[in-house]
Amino acid sequence: MSQLLENLEKHTAQYVEAFNAGDFETLDAFYTEEAVAVWEPGEPLTGQARRDYQREFLARRPKISTTTRQSFVTGDTALLIVDWVIDTVDDQGAPERLTGTGVDVLRLGEDGIWRYAVDDPYGQD
Amino acid sequence: MAFDFSTDFDPENPDLTDNTEIQNEIFLQAFNSGDGALFNRLYLEDSISNFSGEPLTGAARLAFFKEFLAPKPSLKAEVTHAYVAGDVALIGVKYSIDTTGENGEPVHLEGVCTDVLRRGEDGRWLMSIDRPVAATGLVAE
Repeated sequence: MSQLLENLEKHTAQYVEAFNAGDFETLDAFYTEEAVAVWEPGEPLTGQARRDYQREFLARRPKISTTTRQSFVTGDTALLIVDWVIDTVDDQGAPERLTGTGVDVLRLGEDGIWRYAVDDPYGQD
Repeated sequence: MAFDFSTDFDPENPDLTDNTEIQNEIFLQAFNSGDGALFNRLYLEDSISNFSGEPLTGAARLAFFKEFLAPKPSLKAEVTHAYVAGDVALIGVKYSIDTTGENGEPVHLEGVCTDVLRRGEDGRWLMSIDRPVAATGLVAE
């Protein structure tokens, strides 16, 4: 169990690093093939639509910081409750700060890597 | 068992399915049956339930369910969102529970709950993790 939690923390750190580097390809590798992301409340995205949205979002070179509030791990499935802050720019290029508490479901792959199955950044709001 | 299940499901071998409405219906019926052992079969052995305020699995979870459901609390729940990603799903529900306290007094609980469901190798969907957040009172103290 502690090994799994350690892996999860490593996952989050690597995700944050890729996010802040604007590295879409690395970031995308942290999502399962069927992953659902809900960056706009009520509008779940999957597949190519999810990738397109995220690629565009990262192009503004946002910076994220996260604090994991709770984590539950059972077998190859985890639920994380995460406070996050993103500093980015709006459509006019003005600084914009986004905050929320995410509800994330992760799956442990056979390769030992945790990946988002559901990424719901405003899930707890 | 003198309980009338209006949606057919096998109480010995339940399947919550990937259909949100059926999930909610079966969950409500299992909960409202007052039968903790039956309700526990909606969970895998190592699934985590936070109903008690603590993450419980296995025998501790079963013991809690039996105790909590014994006074036959009445649960109402409404699904607010559901995301299915392959063999895992995240469900959000708004719930209210009317039950009886230790001294026979009525207790009303309500809040929101996040549920993670998994499809097992036998194809059945079951509870993997639940995480209620109570808006009034606690589910259990």
